[in-house]
Amino acid sequence: MNRDDIAWCPGCGDFPIRATLEKVLRELPVPQKDIVLTSGIGQAAKMPHYLPYSYFNGLHGRSLPLAVGIKLARPDLTVIAVSGDGCHYGEGGNHFLHTIRRRLDITILVCDNKVYGLTKGQSSPTTDLGMKNALDPLGNPNTSFSPLAVALVAGAPFVARTFAGDPQHMETVLREAILFKGPSVVDILQPCVSFNKVNTYAWYRERIYRMEGPQKDRYEAIRLAESWGERIPTGIFWREGQFSCREGREMFRRHVTESAVARLLNKPCIMMR
Amino acid sequence: MEFNVLIGGEAGQGMFSVELELTEILSRLGYHFFATKNYMSRIRGGHNYHMIRVAERPVHALSGKPWDMVVAMDSAETERRHRPALRKGGVFIGADRIGQLEAEAANTFQDVTVTSTLITGLILSFIGADPAAVQAAAPDEPARAALAKGRESAARWGLEGPRTLSPKAGDHCKLDGNQALALGALLGGCQFVAGYPMTPATSILHYFTAVAAEVPVHFEQAEDEIAALNMALGASFAGLRAMSATSGGGFALMTEAVSLAGMTETPVVVIDAQRPGPATGLPTRTEQGDLDFVVHAGHGEFPRVIFAPGSIEEAISLARRAFDVADRWQIPVFILTDQYLADSVQVMEGRVPTKILRRETPVFGADYRRYEVTDSGVSPLTYPGLSEARVEVDSDEHTEDGKITEDVGLRARMVDKRLRKREGLRKEAVMPTRFGDRRATTVLVSWGSNRLIVNEAVEALRAEGIAVSSVHFGQVYPLTPPMARGLARKRLICIENNATGQFERLLRIELGLKAAHRILQYNGECFTVAGLVERVRKILG
Repeated sequence: MNRDDIAWCPGCGDFPIRATLEKVLRELPVPQKDIVLTSGIGQAAKMPHYLPYSYFNGLHGRSLPLAVGIKLARPDLTVIAVSGDGCHYGEGGNHFLHTIRRRLDITILVCDNKVYGLTKGQSSPTTDLGMKNALDPLGNPNTSFSPLAVALVAGAPFVARTFAGDPQHMETVLREAILFKGPSVVDILQPCVSFNKVNTYAWYRERIYRMEGPQKDRYEAIRLAESWGERIPTGIFWREGQFSCREGREMFRRHVTESAVARLLNKPCIMMR
Repeated sequence: MEFNVLIGGEAGQGMFSVELELTEILSRLGYHFFATKNYMSRIRGGHNYHMIRVAERPVHALSGKPWDMVVAMDSAETERRHRPALRKGGVFIGADRIGQLEAEAANTFQDVTVTSTLITGLILSFIGADPAAVQAAAPDEPARAALAKGRESAARWGLEGPRTLSPKAGDHCKLDGNQALALGALLGGCQFVAGYPMTPATSILHYFTAVAAEVPVHFEQAEDEIAALNMALGASFAGLRAMSATSGGGFALMTEAVSLAGMTETPVVVIDAQRPGPATGLPTRTEQGDLDFVVHAGHGEFPRVIFAPGSIEEAISLARRAFDVADRWQIPVFILTDQYLADSVQVMEGRVPTKILRRETPVFGADYRRYEVTDSGVSPLTYPGLSEARVEVDSDEHTEDGKITEDVGLRARMVDKRLRKREGLRKEAVMPTRFGDRRATTVLVSWGSNRLIVNEAVEALRAEGIAVSSVHFGQVYPLTPPMARGLARKRLICIENNATGQFERLLRIELGLKAAHRILQYNGECFTVAGLVERVRKILG
């Protein structure tokens, strides 16, 4: 793909994420035709345009209900929803909670640069308290959202964090997230070279460390997932061993028959009581 | 001759059980009947009433005439409100008799809820239903015993057969409006429904959950209506015919996804079961207040079709058709119904097409372009995973390949492509249905659920020597010039359940048809035949 065709700023953290995702998907034991991406709106949400798979690039915040509809209709497809922190945690916050609860095999990738990029530098749900932004000249008055702790509390069976500046780590985490059978959430820390002058590659490199494997206890995973500041853990916080993933129903090309409808007409009244 | 009964009481006192049990047996016995209800937005208490009309000819509306019988399950409220509307010589079943029936239910059947079956038996006896046939129609042995006891009570009180009616209905189905729409959706090939419960649309969702046990369909309860329509779009993109059903408030949340369907050309059907607004309005009553809203819903410009069925048959056939139109033209299609049609149980003798429509699943090569520009405006549609063809769908303005574009020339071509579908849609528009003597200079115009109330009013007026005919629009958008044929020189009276005459205005804007008069009702109740006749008479002097 021509560099000019990609709408991201030079140096954007989305580039290494795209390159890693492309590699992971190419090496996945799934035919290319069976992979579907959904996204919302924002810089990260343009990701599917730069990858060779079917996609539904929908509205801001709505990548997850699209993914749910696709997965329920076609359990045979591998469904990955990729968008930014504003899309998944802000506009789509309610869908984030409830998509996790649906126990479907959907991978939720969040390109988290802690700022709104496409609209030019406003606070996002993950912007740190007090950070000055385009619409918050006196500093962001809101507590920073802790997405992975929330995901764990909502019951997500696979929760991880990785860093756009560590492609090797990113590759392992993304592969495991996609191969995990159930809703998986990966928060990918990345800089925004245009609008986030604090959380830069260098800032992250000073703080990030790799955790040792998933935690054995969900509450410990929550405690770690919440920790932020001088030391920022990356890796898989939680991976449920015996997760019961909801299996979709095979319906595509299996049609309702006329004899079945005739039987239904003899059913007793189905009315709201 | 006919029989009109009102059964009133507090929510939870068993009036709905009487309606369900009575209509089921009436249907099994082959009676013509019509049943509807007026209920409050509460689970217990308040005041609800169910109205059932039994006749020897097809009836599809409330007569609006004084009641032949009023059954009060409560102590005072039903009597206070409805006894004044009891006809002279009509029967009032009040607290003392209900008390006796409750005692019988408790003593003989050890279950006070059997009272509803006793009342059912009493009413069946009142209309002279053949006792042996009633026994044969009972769903089970306990019901059989209770129906017989109900008949004994009728005999004891001298209420056996004073209004004897014969069952005259042929082969039929008994359906309410929502069941009819859901059935039509199934026939239209719908396999995926996502929704969030909202009166009066909820029973459509219940229907799909209930049938999912037997046929390959899925219902998903979404976290909100925004998610619901996006889920339906995801399922449609993935290969299934899909829909959502809601009421006006839920539809308000869906509007951005309506626009998304327009831009991405993803086929989808949305049912708006209208209730009085604005905002929460009257949650359990009826209105036709969302027409303007649905005509304009969604930002930007894109083609759409809106159906508004006026009978059970039409609810089935237009719902079925909606999925076909949505698929063939790759557009959102809307069905406007309302609480009145949703909650009215009717006898359908007519035949409906039962051939189940299916989505085609063509396979393309790697050079597939989801938004290929064509003469008709319709691009080839396929689904992910069938071949090397990638299905690339985008809410931004896009290239033929589905990639984001800001090429202004292409933008204009894409707008033209999408809007070009309007030409084809106009050609296959569903024509309005006419009723009555076309020579009459006055025509009653209706859309949606009022159709059969209006038609019975036309007959009633003719019986009085007042010549009117009627026209009903089952497709309310787009309106096309052939629909206006034979109407331009008529004196039109537009009949609507809203306060501003939304369809009258649409007729003027789209077809240049000017209605001379409007009959509007917006208190949350449906029209009755007698009420409508009275208002038409007033206009015609």
